[in-house]
Amino acid sequence: MATKLSKIINHWVPENSKVIDFGCGDGSLLKELIETKNILGYGVEINNLKIEKCIEKGVPVIKQDIDKGMNEFKSSNFDLSIMARSIQCLKNPDLALNRMLELSKRCVVTLPNLGYWRCRINLASGKMPVTPELPSSWYETENIHLCTIKDFENLCKKENIKIKDKVFLNKDGSHGGLASIKPNLLAVEGVYLLEK
Amino acid sequence: MKIKTEQIHFSEGLSLESGGRLDSFDLIIESYGELNESKSNAILLCHAFSGNHHAAGEDEELGIGWWDQIVGPKKAIDTEKYYVVCCNNLGGCAGSSGPTTINAATNKVFGKDFPLVTVDDWVNSQKMLMDKLDIPYWHLVAGGSLGGMQALQWSIAYPDKIKKAGIFAAAAKSSTQNIAMNEVARESIRKDKNFHNGDYYDHNVTPKNGIKTARMLGHITYLSEELMDSRFGRKFQDEASKVDQDVDFEVENYLQYKGEKFSEFFDANSYILMTKAMDGYDAGKGIDLEEAMENIKAELLIVGFYSDWLYPAERGKEIQIAGMNNNIKSSFVVFDGEHGHDSFLFHSKEYSNVIKKFIES
Repeated sequence: MATKLSKIINHWVPENSKVIDFGCGDGSLLKELIETKNILGYGVEINNLKIEKCIEKGVPVIKQDIDKGMNEFKSSNFDLSIMARSIQCLKNPDLALNRMLELSKRCVVTLPNLGYWRCRINLASGKMPVTPELPSSWYETENIHLCTIKDFENLCKKENIKIKDKVFLNKDGSHGGLASIKPNLLAVEGVYLLEK
Repeated sequence: MKIKTEQIHFSEGLSLESGGRLDSFDLIIESYGELNESKSNAILLCHAFSGNHHAAGEDEELGIGWWDQIVGPKKAIDTEKYYVVCCNNLGGCAGSSGPTTINAATNKVFGKDFPLVTVDDWVNSQKMLMDKLDIPYWHLVAGGSLGGMQALQWSIAYPDKIKKAGIFAAAAKSSTQNIAMNEVARESIRKDKNFHNGDYYDHNVTPKNGIKTARMLGHITYLSEELMDSRFGRKFQDEASKVDQDVDFEVENYLQYKGEKFSEFFDANSYILMTKAMDGYDAGKGIDLEEAMENIKAELLIVGFYSDWLYPAERGKEIQIAGMNNNIKSSFVVFDGEHGHDSFLFHSKEYSNVIKKFIES
């Protein structure tokens, strides 16, 4: 997790809140939130090696394929759910988004922007985009549901999901500047705080 | 690794969940490693239904410990760093008070009159053991199967005396199917003509055939279908190593051999008692698991195995969810596990790593 992204997310996380991070990876973000915001955090991860890293950090983690359901987390009263750079890997991103807002008051979603100009140039030259942010070839990528900033915001609208806050990231991970002027073309990544 | 074996007497006795009482009792224990100066490195291992106090290392009489792949110098539960204790549970037949020990009141073996003991009673007796060993708290209580149930019960019953609980291949309660299997096992013992309603000691016989059949059934439930297939398939047993001329397939020979071995040392009344304890355990006390777990302070590591159909991984997940609903730091990890329910006994790099990191985090 780039430190700049985690800084933005950190800003939206209330002190002492209960947080679930879907696709938590090695648990670095949760670890940081535990240390800086005193949260009670749980990660959800499918990769055993990453799970091991979470346990090493003392971050509680649950082995679970998010595509196979999120209903069991409903009874846990989370304040916030996070899905950083994972939603595009899911079979049903729209369902996942709604589920997250059923199990927590708010959610943070970050996603790579397929509308970013480099991706468009790739496509214009007749090839699937391969960029530093999306480095895998089409046949080996986990990103099965890529979208643009515009697509994502349209989905939010369709699902009656309120965008409480959003930040767009430049290539170097910073925000503001070019990315915020014309995000659909110039932002590498969108970071959203959502509410139903 | 040095194994220290002790027989510890508890003259104060124990009141049991059933309402019964043991006026005094003994626990046989093994321990490995040294208790450090701050007394912060003690680990309790809880054995599964047919296990005993011999968890690790090699013993002349008892062979290799049941958790030797996980417990020992530089292993997942490292006896160079931790002081590790394991006792034979009450009602067992490996040295602690049980059906085969003498009842001081009658000067005869308890036999079938040994009172019904439960997982809660075991945990209470282990707490008495902890006090006697002058251990202020356990850094970890861990076990698989019925041992995992004890680890869970420890975290519920003594929230201030346990930092971490390792609950492996276990459930918060036995399923209907678990109880059903155990009843078939018990019935085979009870219907052995040498059982004599549990008073076989007086007749100088043991219901060996019943125990053997019970164990054969047990073994089927401990292994996965896949493992049985890959290990035995439909291979025929070679003539020279057949335990019996009726045997055709290797799997039959294996079950016959394992059942026979087990029936030579395991006590029938103990078998009935231990399976009754397993069937009877319900962490939620028939009401609500979540409510039962609300005072837990320990961190929980729940591990399941996909190949385990006796206590499927999902049953472990129920514990994690109930823990998470109570804001308890709890993790749930699943491994493939080649050995079915028995997978918790075996080392794999990923399983050992997770245990080790949980202990040290």
